[in-house]
Amino acid sequence: MAGITTHVLNTVTGQPGSGMRIDFSVLDGDTWHLVKSVRTNSDGRTDEMILKPEETRVGQYELLFHVDEYFARQGVALPDPPFIEKVPVRFAVFDPKQHYHVPMLATSWSCATYRGS
Amino acid sequence: MKIDSFNRRNFLAAGSLLSAAALIPNRAGAAVAGPTAIAQSATPPAVPQVAAPPGRLTFHGIDTYHGATIGTLRVDISMLEGGSYRLVKSFNTAMNGRSDGALFEGATFKPGRYEMVMHVGDYYEALGTKLPTPTFISRVPLRFGVADARERYHIAVLFGPWSYSYYRGS
Repeated sequence: MAGITTHVLNTVTGQPGSGMRIDFSVLDGDTWHLVKSVRTNSDGRTDEMILKPEETRVGQYELLFHVDEYFARQGVALPDPPFIEKVPVRFAVFDPKQHYHVPMLATSWSCATYRGS
Repeated sequence: MKIDSFNRRNFLAAGSLLSAAALIPNRAGAAVAGPTAIAQSATPPAVPQVAAPPGRLTFHGIDTYHGATIGTLRVDISMLEGGSYRLVKSFNTAMNGRSDGALFEGATFKPGRYEMVMHVGDYYEALGTKLPTPTFISRVPLRFGVADARERYHIAVLFGPWSYSYYRGS
């Protein structure tokens, strides 16, 4: 399987990060163009792939995770502004035949991402 | 405010010791030392001399691929102003991926929304690390908010060619 997928995990509770808004953009020249906004499902994943294999090209992509909104909705007290707010993850697709799974592990004071599978 | 209340407790504790000391006859018959001298000698050495720690911003990026930050990492710091991030400082990491002292401190450290862009792609290219083109991650934006610039904000980052994480360190 190729294409781009993601998965959000709340590493405070050990639960999937469900209901988190993610904005997906592609770099066109010097400008980021918003492709779509999605929300994670109950498993912290998106119902549809972020980008399907046939749509995936070599290029620069961005997933913007709305981590602050997620934790605010969980009832977590956050400073103003929150330390972790909206987190952009920028990565490249260098071979469209490969799969790019880009998860977000988040707390309100830290976050991590990596190329998964 | 925590510091103030600590000082207050400390002062009250010293005060009660002072009162106790005043009741003990001076064996040498010498004049009783003034309150200041007694307060100093009555303060246990373990109690820290509390001074307000200045707010400051520091950075430490660790290359977990090589096990140490063996090259120089460039970092651009921007602040959000009127809807866009404006560059306020660029620096190269010094020893072991750390910033050379505080990036901002005291009055120069402002609350707000920050972005540090780490030039990870250039870092690995300079080290000759074999990676695909374009590299999976190249310029890594680390965004964070500073709510209280009187506090210390240490941005700790673990990075490699395929992953990174950051957190508020100390």
